[in-house]
Amino acid sequence: MKKIFSAILVFTLLLSLVGCSSGESKPSKKLETDTTKEKNLPVLGENVKFDPNILINNGEPKEVEFWVWDSAEIFQSIVDGFEKIYPNISIKIVSHPWGDYWTKLPLALQNGEGPALFCVHNSQHDNLINNMEPYDIDIKDLTADFTGAENHVIDDKVYYIDYGMMTGSIFYNKDMWTEAGLTDEDIPATWDEFIEVAKKLTKKDSKGNITQAGFNYNSDVKSMIMGLNYQKGELLFKEDGKTPNINNDTMKENMQFLLDLYNVHGIGSKDFGVTDAESFGQGQSAMVYKWGWYYNQLSNDYPDINFGVFRIPTPDKDVPFAYDRYNGESTIGISSTVDDASKEIAQAFIRYFMSNDEALKELCIKYSIFPSKKTLAEDADILSHPVLKTLSTTVDYLIWPGPFPSTIETTLQQSFEDIIYNDSSIEDSLENGNNKIKADMEGVDFSSVESQYKHIENK
Amino acid sequence: MSKKAKSLILHFVLIILVVITIIPFLWMVFSSFKTNSEITSITPTFLPKLFTFNNYVNVQKSFNFLRLFANSLFLSVAITAIVIYTSTISGFVFAKYKFRGKNLLFGLVLGTMMIPWCVTIIPRYSMMLDFKWLDSYLAIIIPAAVSGFGIFMMRQSISTIPNEMLEAARIDGASEWFIFHKIVFPLSQNVISSIAIFQFLWSWEDYLWPYLIISSEEKQVLSVGLKMFNGRYGTDYGGLFAATTISIIPVLIVYLIFQKRFIDGIAASSVKG
Amino acid sequence: MAKTKTLRKESIFSLKNIVVTGLIIFYAVFLVIPIIMAFVGSFHKWNPLKGDFIYTGFENYTRVFTNDLFWSSLSNTLIFTIVVIFFRIVIGLGIALILYSSIVKGKTFFRAAFYMPVVTPLVAVSFVWVWMYNPQMGLINQILGTNINWLLNKDTALGSVIAMTIWKDYGYAVVLFLAGLYGLPKDCYEAAEIDGASGFSLFRYITLPLLKPMTLFVVITSIISYLQTYIQILVMTEGGPGTSTYVTSYLIFDEAFVKYNFGYASAISFVMFIVIAIFTVFAFKITSDKEKGGAK
Repeated sequence: MKKIFSAILVFTLLLSLVGCSSGESKPSKKLETDTTKEKNLPVLGENVKFDPNILINNGEPKEVEFWVWDSAEIFQSIVDGFEKIYPNISIKIVSHPWGDYWTKLPLALQNGEGPALFCVHNSQHDNLINNMEPYDIDIKDLTADFTGAENHVIDDKVYYIDYGMMTGSIFYNKDMWTEAGLTDEDIPATWDEFIEVAKKLTKKDSKGNITQAGFNYNSDVKSMIMGLNYQKGELLFKEDGKTPNINNDTMKENMQFLLDLYNVHGIGSKDFGVTDAESFGQGQSAMVYKWGWYYNQLSNDYPDINFGVFRIPTPDKDVPFAYDRYNGESTIGISSTVDDASKEIAQAFIRYFMSNDEALKELCIKYSIFPSKKTLAEDADILSHPVLKTLSTTVDYLIWPGPFPSTIETTLQQSFEDIIYNDSSIEDSLENGNNKIKADMEGVDFSSVESQYKHIENK
Repeated sequence: MSKKAKSLILHFVLIILVVITIIPFLWMVFSSFKTNSEITSITPTFLPKLFTFNNYVNVQKSFNFLRLFANSLFLSVAITAIVIYTSTISGFVFAKYKFRGKNLLFGLVLGTMMIPWCVTIIPRYSMMLDFKWLDSYLAIIIPAAVSGFGIFMMRQSISTIPNEMLEAARIDGASEWFIFHKIVFPLSQNVISSIAIFQFLWSWEDYLWPYLIISSEEKQVLSVGLKMFNGRYGTDYGGLFAATTISIIPVLIVYLIFQKRFIDGIAASSVKG
Repeated sequence: MAKTKTLRKESIFSLKNIVVTGLIIFYAVFLVIPIIMAFVGSFHKWNPLKGDFIYTGFENYTRVFTNDLFWSSLSNTLIFTIVVIFFRIVIGLGIALILYSSIVKGKTFFRAAFYMPVVTPLVAVSFVWVWMYNPQMGLINQILGTNINWLLNKDTALGSVIAMTIWKDYGYAVVLFLAGLYGLPKDCYEAAEIDGASGFSLFRYITLPLLKPMTLFVVITSIISYLQTYIQILVMTEGGPGTSTYVTSYLIFDEAFVKYNFGYASAISFVMFIVIAIFTVFAFKITSDKEKGGAK
């Protein structure tokens, strides 16, 4: 017994040693002191400038962390470009899945254990802002280069801005489309046309069970429902810009519409394909409504799916109040709780990132984000991307409610699940949801920017 | 009913129950040899149609599985060894010494088993912040170093060691430490085995605390890693099944090593509760 | 013991003193202080990210008791706990009795097989079971020939998580009851058999009462751990569909580490603590009352 015990101990120690030596997946690069001050590299950027010919951290070696929740490889290529300029700097990318990221990042920042750089999402604004360092960039330069940067000024400081806007589109499986005898001519413009197309794409077995869904929204109604409301001119917040406007007739109508898609028109089922994103990827659902990030996920995880994208349908042929909601995709944040050297590196990296059109373009293309950098708005590569091409036709009619807290999306999803899975009435669910959101938003500093929408007068 | 018929029926019942118990495992193990397209096919299979080892090969490629595995193993063995020692020595003190406030302290030890994690997790987390122990194994090992359950089990079993035996050793001039290490400890082997099995399992599958404490990926433990794997490669079911299959092995080995003494150990302690 | 004291002068660094001091320090630092902190915090608006720590009196507690989600999560927790414990004990005791019987062969094999789910990491088996419950690709619908969306149906979601938990944990009870059976005094049985007691009355009047301490042990450790169930819910349902499978621990985690309402989360934790205490005392009470009844 004693022998067994000590054998296990020795074995474990050996194993953890092996783990230590072989386990380092990516050894940090070997850092050397940088002495070449004059690198004779061109200065990047028009207004927001990045000058590579200045040493950072006096040329001394230093490593900082950069947290991301997704697509580490995209950020890695940007980091590689930056590290090439500065042999004394290493930026280590640490990736956490979305859910874990938001559990850990705010607390890590708060106690100074966090990364120097991190990806920001505006739905977490309130949890992050107290521990963020303002950009060391002139606001005039930022607003000259980026559309909408002025919306992010807090007490004459900017902590992050948007590098572009993301919204939703319908993704469709081209092979199923052809199989059902549909052509590009059949791409629907209105929801009625959409339902007809979806019916053709739905397959059922002899018992009437669905084997291929025409349309699937399971697990992700939250990103779609607000767009449906905006199409009918209903805002997400009441006039004071703070009270959530969840329980209203338009929302009820749209929830009923979503239910009818399954229950009346039979173009999908709440029990077929538990999550829309996977079901589409597995080739079991013909159409899904997803936001731009899905383009990247499909290309990475389901390379076999032959898909196309079209604009979200509308209630009728006229231009709606807004086609959809968009959300600003935030630039990278800097921690205020790390040491000064780390902050210096982070500030330099932010400048590099913001003045580097190629890097921004790559990011926008991978995530299907319509760039807010003015020099990229007419870029040929951007306009030839399938999702962005679709977006460019509606971009003037997309509305942004502002960086509202995540509880709105989470709670709307729960309310809808209560309706579709728990047989609760639309009225009750929305009333509960409204109360829950109100309680969660108490003490959160938020004001809607819906009133700044270009076509607000059409309401 | 004849004895033979009875025995047949009992065996039949047991085998049915074993099958129910084992099927999810078999299915997982078989699935770990399937391709992802077979796993996500709308007509599910039990045995793999196309046998592939790729999932096992890729597990290490897509995330640092071996490293996480080694981390978990190290932590579980370290915590188990420490808990065994602290439980035995505390159990010895509670069983064989008299001191003021003994009942109060023992009551406290038992009471701690009743306190839900949720009460202490928030302040403990802030304490780890103050200690600067975040992202450090100290924060995982030290708070787990004493187990109320272990002390309870040990006190029960050490009470049954006759006092005369210890007295005899004392008269021979043995120190208290000697008595503990050379007499009490070896006599407690059975209970040690049961504590080892319980504690190893608890440490092995502990999720929430390491999840909150450890942030660097190369220090992360396996159970958190498995969840992260699912978050990041949510589409790679084959990989998940392969990783899970491997993660079961060490606990099974620990069980198989200690199981003989395991039941005797429990029998010797808590029964007389 | 008294004799040793007279023989040898006790050093301050004696084994006893070191252990007792160590235990006191350990429990003070890792339990008493945190509990006090949580208790104080539960009367405050406590948000670590904003550095808030504002006294609000009983506000957090009133919020707990007026929150519908708290009550529904508490009722889910209680249903979960009671059902899982019931089946754990019935199945565990049943199998232990069969395995204890002298006519059964291959005990080591069976024991190991039944114990297998217990030793599998909960996170891992939860993922496996999510896949088994998948309405289209899962094993369960295939075996049962049903077409049920187990985890997204209000009538089956909680039950599905419960079934998984019973499957995972009953083996623990088997082993404990087996240990209890091996510890039973043989002479009791011999005396009873001489009196001509049948198998069932042997079980009813001798085995069962003698197993009471072990049963109590299983019940109490189960109450404590199941009232705090969290991981299954996190992995399998995330509290859904809607909020129908929220359990209290999940609610606490959500409030503490997603919304950073540490004060409110602490208040829920204390209510939870009291619930656990009540149940534990209740479990003790039931057994001791029965004992008195038996003595009459």
